[in-house]
Amino acid sequence: MEPSDVEEEEFGFSRNYFLAKELCSSGKKSARKVSDINLVDEQELREAYAKLEFKHEKEINDLVNSYKKLYTEWVYMLRCGFGLLMYGFGSKKALIEDFASTALTDYSVVVINGYLQSINLKQVTVTIAELLWDQLKTQRKLENHPKNQQSFHTQSMDDLISFLDGPHLEDGECYVCAVLNNIDGPGLRDSESQQYLARLAACSHILMVASIDNVNAPLLWNKKMVHTEFNWYWHHVPTYAPYKVEGIFFPLILAHSGSAQSVKTASIVLQSLTPNAQNVFKVVADHQLAHPDAEGMPFNNLYTLCRERFLVSSQITLNAHLTEFKDHELVKTRRNSDGEDCLFIPLTSEALQKLVLEITQ
Amino acid sequence: MAPAADPTSSPPIPTANGDLQPFFVLHKAASRKPAAKTRRRIDLSPPKNSDGSASAEGCNDNNTRFETFRFLWSNTESIIKDVLKNLNANVFDEIDKWVYASFDLIRACRTLELTSATCNYPILNNALIGAVGASSQIFTALLSTKNIEFVDDISTFAELGAHLRSTGCFVANLTSLDFCAKNGVGGSLKSLLRQFLMVGIDAPEMSILASWYTERETNDKPLVVIIDDVERCSGSVLNDFIVMLREWVVKIPIILILGVATTADVLRNILCSSACLYLSVCEFNLGTPAERMDAIIEAVLLKSCQSFNIGKHASNFLRNYFLKHDGTLTLFVKALKGFDGDNSLLKEPVIKRALELPSLQRYCQTRGNCIDWTYALSELKRLHQLWSSIVMCLYEVGRYRKIALLDLYCEMLNSGAPDLNLVAKDHMTSVNNHHSHGCTQDKGYVVWAFQILRDLPTMELHKLLDRWEMLTRGIAEIHEKVKELQSLTTLEENHSRRDLREESKKPTSRTYRNDRTNKITINEKVVSFLQSVFREYIHPIENIPLHEIIFFDNVDYLQTALIGDPRRRIQADLLESRKLLKCSCCSKSPGVLIPSMHDTSIMYTLAQEHGDLINVHEWFHSFKAIVSGVHSQAKKRSRMSPSPKKRKDSNIPQSRSDASIQAEFCRAVTELQITGLLRMPSKRRPDYVQRVAFGV
Repeated sequence: MEPSDVEEEEFGFSRNYFLAKELCSSGKKSARKVSDINLVDEQELREAYAKLEFKHEKEINDLVNSYKKLYTEWVYMLRCGFGLLMYGFGSKKALIEDFASTALTDYSVVVINGYLQSINLKQVTVTIAELLWDQLKTQRKLENHPKNQQSFHTQSMDDLISFLDGPHLEDGECYVCAVLNNIDGPGLRDSESQQYLARLAACSHILMVASIDNVNAPLLWNKKMVHTEFNWYWHHVPTYAPYKVEGIFFPLILAHSGSAQSVKTASIVLQSLTPNAQNVFKVVADHQLAHPDAEGMPFNNLYTLCRERFLVSSQITLNAHLTEFKDHELVKTRRNSDGEDCLFIPLTSEALQKLVLEITQ
Repeated sequence: MAPAADPTSSPPIPTANGDLQPFFVLHKAASRKPAAKTRRRIDLSPPKNSDGSASAEGCNDNNTRFETFRFLWSNTESIIKDVLKNLNANVFDEIDKWVYASFDLIRACRTLELTSATCNYPILNNALIGAVGASSQIFTALLSTKNIEFVDDISTFAELGAHLRSTGCFVANLTSLDFCAKNGVGGSLKSLLRQFLMVGIDAPEMSILASWYTERETNDKPLVVIIDDVERCSGSVLNDFIVMLREWVVKIPIILILGVATTADVLRNILCSSACLYLSVCEFNLGTPAERMDAIIEAVLLKSCQSFNIGKHASNFLRNYFLKHDGTLTLFVKALKGFDGDNSLLKEPVIKRALELPSLQRYCQTRGNCIDWTYALSELKRLHQLWSSIVMCLYEVGRYRKIALLDLYCEMLNSGAPDLNLVAKDHMTSVNNHHSHGCTQDKGYVVWAFQILRDLPTMELHKLLDRWEMLTRGIAEIHEKVKELQSLTTLEENHSRRDLREESKKPTSRTYRNDRTNKITINEKVVSFLQSVFREYIHPIENIPLHEIIFFDNVDYLQTALIGDPRRRIQADLLESRKLLKCSCCSKSPGVLIPSMHDTSIMYTLAQEHGDLINVHEWFHSFKAIVSGVHSQAKKRSRMSPSPKKRKDSNIPQSRSDASIQAEFCRAVTELQITGLLRMPSKRRPDYVQRVAFGV
């Protein structure tokens, strides 16, 4: 890459950013709301979502098929001591699992689904250690490892890593392959997890194949991790396959944003509360509808009003109700100009009216 | 009102068994083929080459290739290791001496305080500090790495640890990770104990270390703690650690070695003043990264002819990347590993491929395809050796102006073109403007080197020729001439020395002039020698037989494999989906969005027309207009995405339900969110999504 190219590229990048900013501020900001779209019912939307087909199925299959001839190359690079990092648009889960089950049959393979929140790296490491143990045992090479397999669960992460990082025996290699879907997944984005993954990848008995989807994924690693521990060998393998499982926990943009939706959930929550609690909520709602421009209802005012109407007997009971509301995000607090804590309902006036109507029925 | 985030309410998307488990075992090594295929597989036709013989052959090839790689890389790796070791040898020896000197001081103090040192609790209460005096300080070496990229120094510190262990110290190598605020000083003590005692301890205590040390039969070894990147440690934790060590310093003779990337002042910045006073600091320096780089290039690319080399494009790329982006030696070494791993020679049967190489055609004998292999290979070796040694000779000249070998190497690969104008150019400059220092940019390094040679004093010239003599040993073509020149200068030097002595007796201006002309002729001789060998042996690498194999020059491959560029590539995937998918339907109308395109691709292309905020409502309608092929609705919003909607020639039926279009929209937004190109609407801006990336 010529230096002038680099500069040009950087210049182009900043120019694009400012152009985009300008486009936003100069043009009249569109005030159209999501709720103006003629949204279908959420249930219907979810059904349609589940039934969606994807376009170009044949071409996608051909594309994924074309990567098959690279499998031997990938295995070779793994054996050379590199970690494989797959990137490009489209779900790569099926591709790398197929790669693992056809080309990596000589090694034990653990698949880790990084797109899930619930990953426990300790458990993963224990499983890998057990697999390695089995493998070494079948090769009868464990004279110098008197440890019992059962004890892996009680060992610390450091001990497990030093077991996995043990020396290779001269007659043959012994690997466990970790296939990591979405190493940039939400459950693995903290630096501690990435440090552990890097240390695992650096172990002499572990081969690592991982995929990333986020354009900013490399920001998770420092140079030490990239160059010496993961030792990535990048492969650009766009598949265009739909992110079926990867996207499973993402909220649908059109399903939760409409006010209809929030009114519905709010009324469900409110109806499960006691009538007194509902009435306290109504006091706040009435105040907000009467003073649409105010910051909210000061706490003391609310308390006096509720006492007058025999809704609460003490501040403690009122606080209990408010805690309940806050937990369900029915009510929020902010300070007004006098420094008082004010309560407000994060809904538009129309939605609030609808809600009040629904709970009075 | 809060979005229902719990997975139980998620839509019923059919998933395979393992998809929702955090992890599972796909198969075990022992069962070579997975018996039951419970997992979803890609629906693929079996590979064409499925007959046994072919795959067995492929497997065999791969093993040979791997063995070759192993051989080459272990070779290169050991060369690099040796080079770095030699570079650091002096510093390591100095540190070693210092460690033992400090240890002796501590021991002297220990015997003084033996009575109190044997009890099993911290002995340095305030009353004793005065008595113990100097020994209440921890001996600390600051090892300045002069390199902000600490990744290059990891191996250096590991080597230092090994070196000290070999001379009989107990060594613990700690990193900044052991000094993070989260785990506190307990975490650092834990890893310290782990390294010294070789067991994990749940409740770390200094007394455990003390009793371990006193229990040893021969407790006459120093304990060295190496922390490789002090700048990255949490200041408070390091502070506590030092205070703690200092309480025990007489009982446990701990010596600290701290790696510092910036300056010695750093300790004052991260430690509090009292902790600074506990340290008795001594400074050491490592070589600069540039020195290391030069040494590695010299050893791997120029001196060893067994391995592969990098061609001009690859070397240029690496040089630019080293100087402008990464700056780490580690990447360079990784790249070398990449070359060893990915060489065309290793991929295909050698002979078959070699026959087709144009560079070998010259060595083909007249009868058929018979190649004089021995001749070609020895020629390869000879030419390469000559080339390398001349580059090294030029580098020796360049040392007077601090030229980096990497720059020189790149330039030699580039400029070794048949246009030997360089030499001609030099002639011009030498005639016109003898004393001007040529600028490297204009005329190239070589011309500049000739200039330096002309201006070199005789003494220096003599030294230079001595070094050349060393460099060219074993290369008959040059060595003789260098020796000749060497004797000439020796003669000249003696002569001039005698002259000088005589001159001091009878000062005349004539002898001075005479001496000057003599000097010029000698320098001129050296220059013309260099010019002649340059003309003769620095050929473009294309002239070397088999250069296609030994010079790795596949820059694109190298760049994508080593660096990757997800930010650009993923966006490009989205914007140019038809190129990659190669479908017949979309490729017909390039540059126009049509309903049959990939949804996310359509959406991202549409997003390009918005500013940094995208109004979801408008975005949805432009999307809907495209996928449903309807244009009446879209006309009003033609400002947003003008051209695509004019097309009505799609054959997609218009019966698409709102639900399915909305679902497609949702899916595309989710996919863009997964790629990180989009931020979802916030509470403050419920109707807008935010673009994250601008420009490919």
